[in-house]
Amino acid sequence: MPVDNNDVLQGTLDLLILKAVSLDPMHGWGIAQRIQQMSREVLQVNQGSLYPALHRLEDREWIAAEWGVSENNRRAKYYSLTKTGRRQLAAEAATWRRFSAAVDAILATS
Amino acid sequence: MRLVRQLLRRLRALTRRADVERDLDDEMRFHLEMEVEKHRREGLPPDAARRAALVSFGGVDRFKEEARDARGVRVLEELAQDTRYALRMMRKAPGYSLLVAMTLALGIGANTAIFSVVDAVLLRPLPYEDPDRLAIVYAQNPDRSAPRFSVSYADWLDWRRQNRVFTDIALFMGGTSQLGGGAAGEPERLQAIYVTDNFFPVLGARAAAGRLFLPGDAERDGDRAVVLTHGLWTRRFGASPTLVGQTIQLGGQSRLVAGILPREYTLFGDRGGDVYMILLPSMIPGVENHAQHMTQAIARLRPGVTLAQAQRDMEAVAARVAAEHPDVKGWSANVFGVLSEMTRTIDQPLLVLLAASVLVLFIACINIASLQLTRGGARARELAVRRALGATRRRLVVQLLVESGLLALIGGAAGLGVSVAATRALVRLVPNGSVPRLEEVAVNGRLLLFTLGTALVTGLLFGLWPALRAADPRLAPSLREGGRKGSAGNVQSARLRRALVVTEVALALVLVVGAGLVVQSFRRMLSVNPGFRPEQLATMRLSLPRGRYPDSVQFDFYRSLIDRLTANPAIRGAAAVNIPPFGGGGIVTNIRPIGQPPTTDGSKLMSPVVVVTPGYFKVMGIPLLRGRDVAWTDRNATLILSSSAARRLWPDADALGKRIAFGTRDTVGAEIVGIVADARTRERTGDPLPIIYMLSSGASSIVRTMTVIVQGNAPLPVMVGAARSTLRELDSTLPLYNIRSMEQVVDASVAQPRLNTTLLSIFAAVALLLATVGIYGVVSYSVSQRTHEMGLRMALGARASDVRGMVVREGALLAAIGIVLGLVASRLTTPVIASWLYGVSPGDPLTFAGVALLLVAIALAASWIPARRATRVDPVIAMREG
Repeated sequence: MPVDNNDVLQGTLDLLILKAVSLDPMHGWGIAQRIQQMSREVLQVNQGSLYPALHRLEDREWIAAEWGVSENNRRAKYYSLTKTGRRQLAAEAATWRRFSAAVDAILATS
Repeated sequence: MRLVRQLLRRLRALTRRADVERDLDDEMRFHLEMEVEKHRREGLPPDAARRAALVSFGGVDRFKEEARDARGVRVLEELAQDTRYALRMMRKAPGYSLLVAMTLALGIGANTAIFSVVDAVLLRPLPYEDPDRLAIVYAQNPDRSAPRFSVSYADWLDWRRQNRVFTDIALFMGGTSQLGGGAAGEPERLQAIYVTDNFFPVLGARAAAGRLFLPGDAERDGDRAVVLTHGLWTRRFGASPTLVGQTIQLGGQSRLVAGILPREYTLFGDRGGDVYMILLPSMIPGVENHAQHMTQAIARLRPGVTLAQAQRDMEAVAARVAAEHPDVKGWSANVFGVLSEMTRTIDQPLLVLLAASVLVLFIACINIASLQLTRGGARARELAVRRALGATRRRLVVQLLVESGLLALIGGAAGLGVSVAATRALVRLVPNGSVPRLEEVAVNGRLLLFTLGTALVTGLLFGLWPALRAADPRLAPSLREGGRKGSAGNVQSARLRRALVVTEVALALVLVVGAGLVVQSFRRMLSVNPGFRPEQLATMRLSLPRGRYPDSVQFDFYRSLIDRLTANPAIRGAAAVNIPPFGGGGIVTNIRPIGQPPTTDGSKLMSPVVVVTPGYFKVMGIPLLRGRDVAWTDRNATLILSSSAARRLWPDADALGKRIAFGTRDTVGAEIVGIVADARTRERTGDPLPIIYMLSSGASSIVRTMTVIVQGNAPLPVMVGAARSTLRELDSTLPLYNIRSMEQVVDASVAQPRLNTTLLSIFAAVALLLATVGIYGVVSYSVSQRTHEMGLRMALGARASDVRGMVVREGALLAAIGIVLGLVASRLTTPVIASWLYGVSPGDPLTFAGVALLLVAIALAASWIPARRATRVDPVIAMREG
């Protein structure tokens, strides 16, 4: 069971998903795993947030979905980054960095 | 682009719901399987791995719902679901749904019908350029209460030069012309409109073909050129495209067709005549005389000038003109907007009728809301189950609203059908031309929008409150209670229902009082003795073209025509008059009773003058009181006064044998040879108008068209046939037109009050019916709720009559409150129709009392049936059920 405070902050999830699918197309489960691995097991993505987020991003056309065959030969829905998604990723990453740097700076002054 | 794609995707998600759902399922299953596999790789046995995966996954359906939400289709999907559900509910209760839809169809249909008339008559813009800038200018004589008088050509010349508020003023004058006749086929009388050459530019009308008249045409071409209406062009010339530029024969003269008017052209709602000719000063006898009021004036306001400013300026101009010309002393000008002037007699009745139809719809809504409340009680259990299964209050309200909205839309669609039928009947009920632009009534976008809007508002009106209440968890019974009687919610909604019935009774009473007043007034109006006998008379118009019949021969022509007509065995008597009873227009002129002192302020006396041939009074059945009838053999024009005219002009002396002079230069005057009884040939009600009758030989120069009245007991076509063949012996080229029996003429004169009366009565009847159903519904529901109590009372020894009395008292009490409120409301609203009423005051106590009694009787009857049911309750069963 994922611990609540390790749950991904609403809003940053979009950024993480965009990052996770930026390398190559990936299905939902894979995206969750990848985020977990890349965060060194700190961040866990709840399925209940993941799928609505995926559909929302697809609706905004930041990611595109396509049915494909998974590594274990099953039918799976693969998500990949679109051109707008790539721009969005760059923009959101920049915003995040600015924000996190700002928070760091505040914490450092104590 | 993106928006379109998104919309398409959403639509696909809706229409191919099954596919989308399967995709979602597949995706979730795949995720679950991957999770299971992961747990197995970590060393768990298959069962445990599966359990662990499921636990970490949580409820699949919740995610699916959220995933769907993210796609933004939920609202639409819910709507579709609610609609399907609503349709299912309607199928389950077809009788109820039909009742509601029919009630609505009546209410909405009535509204749409009246609105379609309002739309055609009052709202649709006139087919001219900037019709809002057009004004009608009348001459007015404030001292003699003549606010809308024709304009004289001489006035027009001065007004046109001196005013600073109009870009231009144009004149027009109705007349007749003729096409065909003799060798050229069946003669057709044409309505000719004579206009000044600036008329079409002022009006802002454009030609469909060729060109219209332009300023300067009068000097260049005189009256040689004509413009045809679209109607005449298609009717008589087969819409020939080459007609423009050709010469046609009109009234025996060659005319050049300059242009054709467009199909939609009308002259202030009238058909717009058949042919337009240029009005030349030479066509008006005594054209330089300022008192020669013969023509109508229209004007176009300068940009930025208001009607009030125009009125002030024109009054100043008219005052200057009057100062220069003593014969127009006391005359001024009056400016009105064209559309408001056209609809001035009809807009108030229409708006009252629209208000009445809205009241009917409102009463219908109350009835349905009351039904819905009753039904809400019955459906309490169903709603409780839905709530227990997780439906939110919003969801329940939306669902109930979708149900009422759907009912309202069905009712609206049926109402549109009702209104089309009703409007068709309405148009037939109204004689041609008595309501301007009525023939333009049509189903158009605005009307559809109005119906749709009315239906939706109606649905909200009768659905919202019951829905809010039914979905309110505080008022709803618990599942355990299972909709038992007597819960808090039921008591409250019973109170609400009673309030609704009281309102309904009050509103219905207002409508019935209004209808009662109008019906009585109409009956009284019909019972007024007109002073003439309309039976066995046929009327027809005949016009003598100036070319072939100079002024001097008109009198002799009529003499030989009437001689020949009376010689026909089918015809008992015949005569002619310049205007038929209740026909508008006619002659009003300055008069001077010779031998009487001049008026104190030096102003002129005015009087209507009716031009007749000998025999008119006998044919019309107007009694000759003294003296004799005018005669063919009178050497000079002789006069007959109506008795009120005689009293007015010679209050202290005998008018017989006296003389009246017409105009300023006449010193001899014409002799009064007889006095007849007053006849109401101009107005149905009020004091009879004093009338001077003149032998037609005295008006040959101004009267070109007469109404021939033929008396006989044969049917109308026989009489007309006899008249026609007699006329043909004299002149085969002359057409007879406007052929009607005198009874039809009289009937047409009350067309508008009849229409108002009929419609208001229909609305009142519907309102009464709905109110009856409403009282019955509430009382009978309350009886069904109190079965237990009734049983108990009867078991304890109450007699049937006691129980009956109790139930009837409940209905009567509701009705009584409603009646009192309704009487107060009626007292406040009936002054609106005061101007429709004749011989009845808007607060007529008899009508008020009668209607109140009627409603009491209806309330008692409507409560009696449920009351009898209450006494048939078997005490044992009733108590066990309770």
